[in-house]
Amino acid sequence: MPTILDLHSHSEASEDSRAPLEAYLNWIKLRRHERPVDGIVLTEHRQFNGAADYRALEDKFGLMVLKASEVETDYGHVLVFGVTEEMTRRFDFANVRLNAQELIDEIARMGGVAVPCHPGRPTVGLYEHYAAKPPLENVVAVEVLNGGSRKGEDDRSMELVRKYGYRAIGGSDSHLVSLIALCATRFAADVRSIDDLVRELREGSYEPVDFRPRRKPVPAAVPEEVRHNGG
Amino acid sequence: MPITSLDSVNVGDTLGPQEIYLSKDQVRNYARTCGMEAPRFMDDEGARAEGLPGMIAPGNMSLGLLSRLVTDWIGMSGARLARLGTTYRQPVQPDHTLTVSGFVTHIEPGEKRVEIDVWIENEDAERLVIGTASVLFP
Amino acid sequence: MAVEYDPALIGRVFEVTDPVSVTAESIGKFCTAIGETNPLYTDAAAAKRGPYGGIVAPPSFAVTFRNGRHFFTHVPRFGRAGFDAGKDVEFRAPIRPGDKITLSSHVKEIYEKTGRSGSMVFVVVRSTVQNQNGEAVAHIDHRFMNRP
Repeated sequence: MPTILDLHSHSEASEDSRAPLEAYLNWIKLRRHERPVDGIVLTEHRQFNGAADYRALEDKFGLMVLKASEVETDYGHVLVFGVTEEMTRRFDFANVRLNAQELIDEIARMGGVAVPCHPGRPTVGLYEHYAAKPPLENVVAVEVLNGGSRKGEDDRSMELVRKYGYRAIGGSDSHLVSLIALCATRFAADVRSIDDLVRELREGSYEPVDFRPRRKPVPAAVPEEVRHNGG
Repeated sequence: MPITSLDSVNVGDTLGPQEIYLSKDQVRNYARTCGMEAPRFMDDEGARAEGLPGMIAPGNMSLGLLSRLVTDWIGMSGARLARLGTTYRQPVQPDHTLTVSGFVTHIEPGEKRVEIDVWIENEDAERLVIGTASVLFP
Repeated sequence: MAVEYDPALIGRVFEVTDPVSVTAESIGKFCTAIGETNPLYTDAAAAKRGPYGGIVAPPSFAVTFRNGRHFFTHVPRFGRAGFDAGKDVEFRAPIRPGDKITLSSHVKEIYEKTGRSGSMVFVVVRSTVQNQNGEAVAHIDHRFMNRP
């Protein structure tokens, strides 16, 4: 059975989010008709909480909660799926200048997968770094649909996918309860665990999915001088 | 629509949207009233001299607009805004129409506390400012 | 990789400001500046019947009190002038006409991350906004973003 997961989200464990996990899950339950996801992956900034156990909340809401991490490298931000103790010993996740190539290769060797996120974003995305440095090797996939992107950023991410043949994922990058699961990734196969997720990201078939509602048009800006002249 | 009591509030309720055309005069007036006469809040030339593409509104003014959204929603119900957190993600530029809105995301009945997501969007639906608010009921 | 700074900075209160007098006029001007129409803040007669028994300032008035002129000479800037990245405000009591407000501030936290505009150091300054009765009317955590 296909599985839809929001692969990028931040709960209150991240310093710039105030969203409790339970409120995320409750919000998805209320909005399931428009955001039909099977679960979310928590990708807290620069940390990994190996001990956290969300089974009670998963059961209460009938949703999957998987754990990953968003770390910061010399090629921008990277989502790390399948984090193990070995990885957190090998890399200081709080270091904002990790070596991206080393991270990608070592995470793969230790059984996980590292996916550069919002590659079209200035400074913290691959696109800008590729303009100045050689492209990274062994990149499996990048995030081309990010709920926090500004205009044009996801288009630049798409360019990388076309140019380098990367696979594409989507995630909300939500820091607010009401923005959870607006962007996600649809897997052709059944994903039930973090191991399934890593396997599918490496070898499976998947695509980003966008659940953002179409917005009603807002009146365009009227310059001050025109307004003052009654125009 | 202002609320009347905690019983009338549900998770998923919307605040606003309030569409606000923010003029340069309004921003200048806010900055002067609050003693924030930095060049970037006064005019485009001043902002460019500070390395910005054009005049911007103070973060405090965005916080004020979000606070107003919540207190308008509270109305005369007797509830009060107990906490407001803001993150300024992109500069708010005057001479644009802003949409200020929010969602009730969580209710803690024991504490009579309501949690709300709030944000300010530009015409391109980019969220310039995001935040969360806590409202306490008597 | 941690940011280098003197750990003794954290928690030390550098400065308490001189009191600022709040008047009906200063509240009125602030209401005009932010486009306030709520009768609790703008209409004396209606406010008298409301929960505060008189006009009070809109909550966001609490963030308009500034740190003392000398505060930022103590706060590490890690490079160019800081930008306002956000605030977390806890509103504890209303501010009323006649209040005399003081601010006392300290550095709460310093951390580093990377964003659209490059590497950023965040300095979180916590201010307590206090009235003449020694009552905290608000706590403000103010995040300043600096580019090293």
